Amino acid sequence: MSGVTPPQHHYKLTEVVDFVIIGAGASGGVLARELSRNGFSVVVLEQGPWLTTKDFTHDEYMNWNHALLTNDFRKQPTTFRKTPKDKAKKRPALVYGRMVGGGPVHFTANYWRFHEIDFIEASKKGTIAGTGFADWPITYADLEPYYTKAEWDLGVSGQAGASPFDPPRSKPYPLPPMPIKSSGVLFEQGARKLGYHPFPAPMAIISQSYQGRMPCAHCGFCMGFGCEMGAKSSPLPTMIPQAIASGRCEIRPNSYVRKIELDAHGRATGAIYFDKSGKENLQRARAVILAANGSETPRLLLLSKSNRFPDGLANSSGLVGKYLMFNTDSLAGGLFEHPLNEYKSIEVTRIMHDFYEIDPKHGFYGGGGIDGRFLWYPISFASVGLPQRGPQWGSEYKKALQKYFTRSMYLTGHTTSLPLEDNSISLDDTVKDAWGLPAMRVTYKDHPDDLKTCQFMLDRSMEILDAAGAQDKWAYPVEESTYGFHLLGTCRMGNDPKTSVVSSGHRTHDVPNLFLCDGSSFVTSGRGQPTETIQALAFRASDRIAALAKQNQI
Amino acid sequence: MDTDQTRRMFLGKAGASLGLLCLSSLTPDLLAKAHAYAQSAVAGGAKSYRFLTAQEAADFDAFSAQILPTDETPGARAANVIHFTDFVLSTIDSDQQAAMKDTFKDLQDQVAKTVPGAKSFAAITSEQQIEVMKAMEAVQDAEAFGILRGYTLTGFFCDPALGGNKNQVGWKLIGFQDDFLYKPPFGYYDAHYDEGKA
Repeated sequence: MSGVTPPQHHYKLTEVVDFVIIGAGASGGVLARELSRNGFSVVVLEQGPWLTTKDFTHDEYMNWNHALLTNDFRKQPTTFRKTPKDKAKKRPALVYGRMVGGGPVHFTANYWRFHEIDFIEASKKGTIAGTGFADWPITYADLEPYYTKAEWDLGVSGQAGASPFDPPRSKPYPLPPMPIKSSGVLFEQGARKLGYHPFPAPMAIISQSYQGRMPCAHCGFCMGFGCEMGAKSSPLPTMIPQAIASGRCEIRPNSYVRKIELDAHGRATGAIYFDKSGKENLQRARAVILAANGSETPRLLLLSKSNRFPDGLANSSGLVGKYLMFNTDSLAGGLFEHPLNEYKSIEVTRIMHDFYEIDPKHGFYGGGGIDGRFLWYPISFASVGLPQRGPQWGSEYKKALQKYFTRSMYLTGHTTSLPLEDNSISLDDTVKDAWGLPAMRVTYKDHPDDLKTCQFMLDRSMEILDAAGAQDKWAYPVEESTYGFHLLGTCRMGNDPKTSVVSSGHRTHDVPNLFLCDGSSFVTSGRGQPTETIQALAFRASDRIAALAKQNQI
Repeated sequence: MDTDQTRRMFLGKAGASLGLLCLSSLTPDLLAKAHAYAQSAVAGGAKSYRFLTAQEAADFDAFSAQILPTDETPGARAANVIHFTDFVLSTIDSDQQAAMKDTFKDLQDQVAKTVPGAKSFAAITSEQQIEVMKAMEAVQDAEAFGILRGYTLTGFFCDPALGGNKNQVGWKLIGFQDDFLYKPPFGYYDAHYDEGKA
């Protein structure tokens, strides 16, 4: 399972390619496919391996505790502190996909569009003192065609028009919703009793054969696992092979970039990276695109210091790495009379958006969605899945495991995080990674409104469990975030070079042939499911970057 | 070796969410070796240990049998938790060895506090063991307790290819099956689903 490189076009290091893309994940995969299909030569440098469906297993311990598909803390340590005044302590603080295909290889596959409000919320509701809450420089209407493209090109199952809160769409989903599970039925019944509007969850998992790919076999191993069927619509079975098929794209796995090179005119000339053997190479390119995720993209800019950019590349605003947003999650569990067997099939089949915008009369800003689901596998269920008030070892605990496993479900709330300047990715002063580069330092403390939003979702979740007839229910306490999966906002998009890092076209304000396109471009956090927006932005950026390149304007 | 990170590998007191479960890492190449070792250890019915001393093995065996006792249903001993733990600590979790040694020291310290003069955790009565464990669980963060509980649960519920969960006793206890293909309906409520009435 070491990962192999399939047949593809190879560029020599002496060749100057049109684009070097750093990161073969959610956005990098899309950019690689779109730009190579558009006639450009593309090299993608990916720090992780190139695994295939044959490499994936159901081994919970290896996939979760040994991070087969994600970043490797032993090689890439992180440090964490709550505020800039604290001393950062070495410990795992981030989880992100680290392989060809990126985070969507192991994600749960919730695939939500942002709503219109997400792009214009600051002007509709007013700015919030002490935060960087702002409008995006683009609107939902700008992005709508690309949401549609993402859904159709990747393969998404869902039911258009099923939610009264859905934003307008130009086309339905390409595939019908996934079959409902017991958690979906109970969630739907409970939510409807309370007057809410649950609907089939849009999922980036194919419910029927699609574009030569086999549908989901309902094996139950989505979150944290790679899909052996190739039914999860990550870039791995979709964008990546299509990019390769163009004959103009080379994916280079195990390539760890340490610096973006600049020439005397302040233009990017390529990326310096360590290959698998540790040898340093320079891949030269006419333009550089960072699609490395909301933590690695700012880190790489901060690592690429020069006389021209002493505070980090493209960082004249001083905002590279700042306004990090994680999204918060609430979690409640419920026990029911009959078996649900939630370990089968996908995690989520019903969600609701009734609290996408929480009424400001509650006295805080926020909003989100709630889903009904299962969340665990046997080891993690035994570790943390039972109500905490009961025994956690001994005979009674064993009996509880036996009773609860097949009859439990969970409600998770997915919510807003306000952009705060202190919340950031920066370079650690002392800790280094296995390549000798400064480790990532994460500074993060939730805004009080984020925690109130989370508590609000938790309270509603407990009410829904009651309404659904749960025999027992339990809430996991809302706590401040100490790690993140959704890495958003660290090179925010905007029209003003003083208050943003990239333009609405993802071009850095400071370097004309350097583009950033991933979660780092976000201005606000959305409601907890960022992947579709990351990919829609990547489709849109691809169009714009290709048009600029064709007009010789890069 | 980073003790702080290691100690977080397993949760002492449950209550955190999934992020804290996603921690360390290894190269995929090592995975194949780990599986091979696990299977040979099980097939050979290994009685000696690669990492654990005989005393540590006896103590951990007793501890894990309190976490998941064999009662009406099989417990940790029946699942081969001890050999699973020994083999992962000697292979894929070798970077956890120092933390595990610290954990055994914490266990021994608590035994000495609770039962002065006692030789070891394995040597005291079941009631005394429970007293020791409750004291360890009451410590802030309960790290040592969490590591021992975590390896027990992992060895009991892991993929049998790793050497624990022998004969799938853990999975059978909770009603989990790892089949590749399922078809709806999956459970009682979707089998009785009537959308119009929902």
